[in-house]
Amino acid sequence: MTDVAARPTPSPQVPEQAPLLEIEDVYAGYGGDDILQGISMEVYPGEIVCVIGPNGAGKSTVFKAVYGFVNIRKGRVRFDGQEITHARPQEVIQAGIAMVPQLPSIFPQMTVYENLEMGLFLERDKRKIVERIEYVLELFPRLEERRKVMAGALSGGERRMLEIGRALLIQPKMLLMDEPSAGLAPLVTRTIFQNIQRLNREIGLTVLMIEQNVRQGLEASHRGYVLELGRNSYQGPAQELLHNPEVRRAFLGGR
Amino acid sequence: MPFLQALLNGILVGGFYGFMVLGFSIIWGVMGIINLAHGEYVMVGAYFAWALFRAMGIDPFVSALLVFPVMFVVGYVLQWLLINRVVERPHLISLLLNFGLSISIANVYKLIYTADYRSVTVPYSGSFELAGFTLPTIKTAIFFAALAIMLALHLFLQHTRLGKAIRAAAQNKEAAKMVGMDIHRVYAATAGICIGLTAMAGAMVAPIQPISPFMGPLFTVKAFAITALGGLGRIPGALLGGLILGIVETLLTIYVPGVGAKVGTAVSFILLVFVLVTRPQGLLSGLRPVEEGA
Ligand SMILES: Nc1ncnc2c1ncn2[C@@H]1O[C@H](COP(=O)(O)OP(=O)(O)OP(=O)(O)O)[C@@H](O)[C@H]1O
Ligand SMILES: [Mg+2]
Repeated sequence: MTDVAARPTPSPQVPEQAPLLEIEDVYAGYGGDDILQGISMEVYPGEIVCVIGPNGAGKSTVFKAVYGFVNIRKGRVRFDGQEITHARPQEVIQAGIAMVPQLPSIFPQMTVYENLEMGLFLERDKRKIVERIEYVLELFPRLEERRKVMAGALSGGERRMLEIGRALLIQPKMLLMDEPSAGLAPLVTRTIFQNIQRLNREIGLTVLMIEQNVRQGLEASHRGYVLELGRNSYQGPAQELLHNPEVRRAFLGGR
Repeated sequence: MPFLQALLNGILVGGFYGFMVLGFSIIWGVMGIINLAHGEYVMVGAYFAWALFRAMGIDPFVSALLVFPVMFVVGYVLQWLLINRVVERPHLISLLLNFGLSISIANVYKLIYTADYRSVTVPYSGSFELAGFTLPTIKTAIFFAALAIMLALHLFLQHTRLGKAIRAAAQNKEAAKMVGMDIHRVYAATAGICIGLTAMAGAMVAPIQPISPFMGPLFTVKAFAITALGGLGRIPGALLGGLILGIVETLLTIYVPGVGAKVGTAVSFILLVFVLVTRPQGLLSGLRPVEEGA
């Protein structure tokens, strides 16, 4: 088990290089006491990194802090060489980070296509908007079939695809995903993880995801972080975490 | 009066109601704010038309076009400076804020214009015959203007960037922020459009409605009744609710003996109470809070 303070091992596929996202000793909260009490994380280009931890550990709050929805009181966040500690969501998007939040983020009474248009809200170039949407529809043929359907009428898996597809429209360097498998049937969950791995392979997408579904989440990832009570507790290669006795006892139902 | 003629009169009034309520309904549907100052913006529009008519003989329909940009700016600024500060807080706070605004606006107008009733008498205040029906000219013109504006608003919401942003913010506020919308700007624009439209309705109705600083609450109550009947934030729902109120009001005043035109107000109240008692969420479940679980 790697020590918390130690530098995480880059995943085998990725050569030694600068991290894409660097969260450094971040303290943040919702106005009361700090929820995050010195969180640090690094994500290297081309990695899939999985964050696990019990309910209320502050996993979603880390994402919200990166995205500018929650103010960072202390510490810093760097992305792609740029300081984004106090950036607003619009600026984070422009820096190249997309997010699929934990709560449903589709617009139910808009069509699949309109939902995708909304994903490029900050883009003014109409031709670019159409091109990017067509590109995402190619990545997700199921969405192409349902482009005129109201998003509220999609199945759970299709909605998640729509959310992921919409996040990809801004051609992000990195995608933050908060519990992509939440509320999905096991088979659908597998499809979602396969899609994440496919995007990672095919377009080199760097992914930081939070997962309750610890086994499948880690299996799809290169590395993992365990958070507890707003602090880092373990980190290391995903395979190592999967076999770590303490992680197994806490999150994988024993043994 | 033959029944069909009475029905026609009700429909004409109802079309106006459907238009008059839009601002109220959309502000509620998009931001979860109950605009108790709604009727005051009708009043402001009516005075605007009256003042321009008296000073320069400008037709109220022209004033309706002029008052939109003016009140758009007022609505935008009010939202930006005042209401956006409380929009994330519990509903009661914005309710009280708007209640305070409504009283302030009415009293400022009383200071400026006194409480005397004003009226706008246009030359085309008569009626014409069509297919055996008698059509009051002004009400017919208002009816078609109302339909045209509703159609324009529909096209705006469906096809423009801002229109889509307004719909998106109404459907999922957090997701709207997520894709990079500045939600407070969207809200300000929504308030601008809604208050602009409401004042337009006031200007249009000026020739057939006694104008006074305290005419507002009547329209606010009607807006509540129409929203309870037709639902929130949807143009067809507003039209449906407006038509029901217009028809019920008209038929009652004509057919129930002893019920004069003065009872019109009570009708809205009774309809509102009736809907709330039988279906607390509104006839088309229109009276839900905008956010689930809120
Ligand atoms: N908007 C908010 N306002 C105030 N407190 C919040 C808010 N959101 C979360 N919290 C609190 O912050 C703490 C961490 O929440 P967070 O959502 O980050 O946990 P999580 O690890 O994502 O949990 P879960 O697995 O349940 O999604 C919790 O105690 C929660 O009650
Ligand atoms: Mg969470």
